[in-house]
Amino acid sequence: MASPEILTSLKGTECLKTAFPGNNSEIYAPVDEAEFPAIIDALANDGCVLISLFCAQNFEGRKGLALFYAFERRGCENILVLMRSAKGSKATSVAQKFPSACWFEREVSDGFGIEFEGAFDNRRLFLHEVYPEDFHPLLKETPNKKIKLREKIPAESEYQFKPMNGEGVYQIPVGPVHAGIIEPGHFRFSVIGEPISNLEVRMFYKHRGVEKLAEGKTPEECVKIAEAISGDETVANSVAFCMAVEKISGAKIPARADRLRAVLLEMERIYSLLGDVAGMAVDIAFASGASPFFILREEILRQNANLTGSRFMKGIVGIGGLKKDVPENELRNLSSYLKTFPKLFKEAHDSVLSSTISVDRFDRTGLVEKRLVSPLNLTGPIARASGVQIDNRKDRPYGAYQSFKPRVKIMDGGDVLSRFEVKSHEILESVNLIQKILKDLPEGPVSSNFKISDGFCLSTVEAPRGQNLHWVYIKDGVVDRYKVRTASFCNWQAIEHAVIGNIVPDFPLINKSMNLSYAGTDL
Amino acid sequence: MANPIFNIFKPKVTEKFTLRDEEFEAVGKQLKREIDKVFGRSLAIRELDSGSDNSTEIELVNLGAPHYDVERFGVSFVASPRHADVIAITGAVTNNMAIAVKKTYDAAPAPKFVIAIGDDACGTGVFADSYATLGSADKILPVDLKIPGNPPSPTEILKGLLALMKIILEKGQ
Repeated sequence: MASPEILTSLKGTECLKTAFPGNNSEIYAPVDEAEFPAIIDALANDGCVLISLFCAQNFEGRKGLALFYAFERRGCENILVLMRSAKGSKATSVAQKFPSACWFEREVSDGFGIEFEGAFDNRRLFLHEVYPEDFHPLLKETPNKKIKLREKIPAESEYQFKPMNGEGVYQIPVGPVHAGIIEPGHFRFSVIGEPISNLEVRMFYKHRGVEKLAEGKTPEECVKIAEAISGDETVANSVAFCMAVEKISGAKIPARADRLRAVLLEMERIYSLLGDVAGMAVDIAFASGASPFFILREEILRQNANLTGSRFMKGIVGIGGLKKDVPENELRNLSSYLKTFPKLFKEAHDSVLSSTISVDRFDRTGLVEKRLVSPLNLTGPIARASGVQIDNRKDRPYGAYQSFKPRVKIMDGGDVLSRFEVKSHEILESVNLIQKILKDLPEGPVSSNFKISDGFCLSTVEAPRGQNLHWVYIKDGVVDRYKVRTASFCNWQAIEHAVIGNIVPDFPLINKSMNLSYAGTDL
Repeated sequence: MANPIFNIFKPKVTEKFTLRDEEFEAVGKQLKREIDKVFGRSLAIRELDSGSDNSTEIELVNLGAPHYDVERFGVSFVASPRHADVIAITGAVTNNMAIAVKKTYDAAPAPKFVIAIGDDACGTGVFADSYATLGSADKILPVDLKIPGNPPSPTEILKGLLALMKIILEKGQ
């Protein structure tokens, strides 16, 4: 095989000899336990980023548990997936070298019962106290049925927040049920006076068992599950899932479907990011600044309903393309509506930023430093607002993005203001892209029929919040393992760093400037 | 001095906004009359997410946005269950949220009503059979009304509230 840049880190290893290409520009490399530490060191030294870590049982006929470490190297299209077997349900931790592994490893421990030696955090992650000990839902021997929850939770099983002690330090527990209409999660602030000294985020209250639910179902049935991962990333997740299945089978989808998928993906980005910028104005009590954004978002949601029959575009993306065509007259209406959009948006945007109140609250608030982006695998607008040039649509073009490239805006500030600006730019750029795509939309079918083959594939999309990664393994015609890692999962860790030194009342603003999905994280 | 006077007389932005949805307005007005009857002018709702896919939350937020603005009809979303007449629960109730759901319900003063919004909360969503959920909202709370949909639109939610008023009147509470 040709030698992509990411493989230079594996130079001279045994593992390089057995590496093989996957179905979608990813490269799998089975790695021997003896070689593993040296390879991890080499990847860390070369600045590679650990973008996911997941586990599968009885993979390709090999009994036992296999761990998959997915690495990205900036500027290189290929993703390297190291495959390692976890003998005796034990493995060494890589979290010291790759901090993003911390949550990944805890997730694998909960799901499969693998113990990571040398991990600096081995508390349970998505299984809260109510789940009994020794319950590992993703093991094949665990059936997907209701379990008996613990009624009394022993003191030693209670979740331990990391203590912070000292004179004048007190804690503010917030959640899981919040004051606004938002999703549940727990925030534990340690504060001295008003400035935040430490924040620990505890998520996974919404763990719904997405990955286990997909097992044993046909890929067609799983599209609905992919759509339900996060309501406001319906299209991104269903497209990522369908692309993986299509690549496994080597199927090509019609050009019209490819382009229309991009239109829907960009519509999703517009309404999702409009909610973010509106929310930022709401959280500084600037209601009149937020209203124009809310008006625009409602307009976009209504356009979605006209195009697809659903305000959140549920039920349109299918394996092989789209489940139904989008009416031609609605596309024309969309195009003429979007012509009026930029002017209205710019007015709303300028009205927020022309107020000293908003600039005072946005500027240098909630700083995400650039040096955090790679170790924590931060992605999407958060990374771009911290000066890192990454966008999956450009770095790893899929579907229509191979011919339609977005202009990506990078800001160096890393604060709320930068995120507001980056997101505003992305809304307008999405409008631009849609107009370009609509201009020469090919005629023809929107779906292709093919037989789904067995196999596995990694696919990535740029959702509104950043890169979403899906890994699908089909065995005997049904999904054997479905791994999802959304942008939110990684980006949550940015908040713990961004709030330090800020005052508690700025927390909602910082949180909204990232607007992460709880459902997409908790799965 | 010129500036404040100009501000008073200049055309107001709010006047330009004429995006009215007739069906929604009609349901809203009817709802307002019913709320006046049943609750004496205002209905306070506490939203409780027990594991939805977050699209229902977006629609509930939209109810307060300019196109709908349900506060006109006496409906408000409150920050604490202690202020609530109605608990609006979304999601199939995950095991991890079960305790918090119960505590939130218990914190609301009686008389109180529960509405389940969205397919997941109604027990017909994709996660009903998962190991990680109880299955539906009525497994843990006494649900008075179900508003199905994936997610239900703002108008459907408002119609649901109207139906709830009828149910409460019939119960004679």
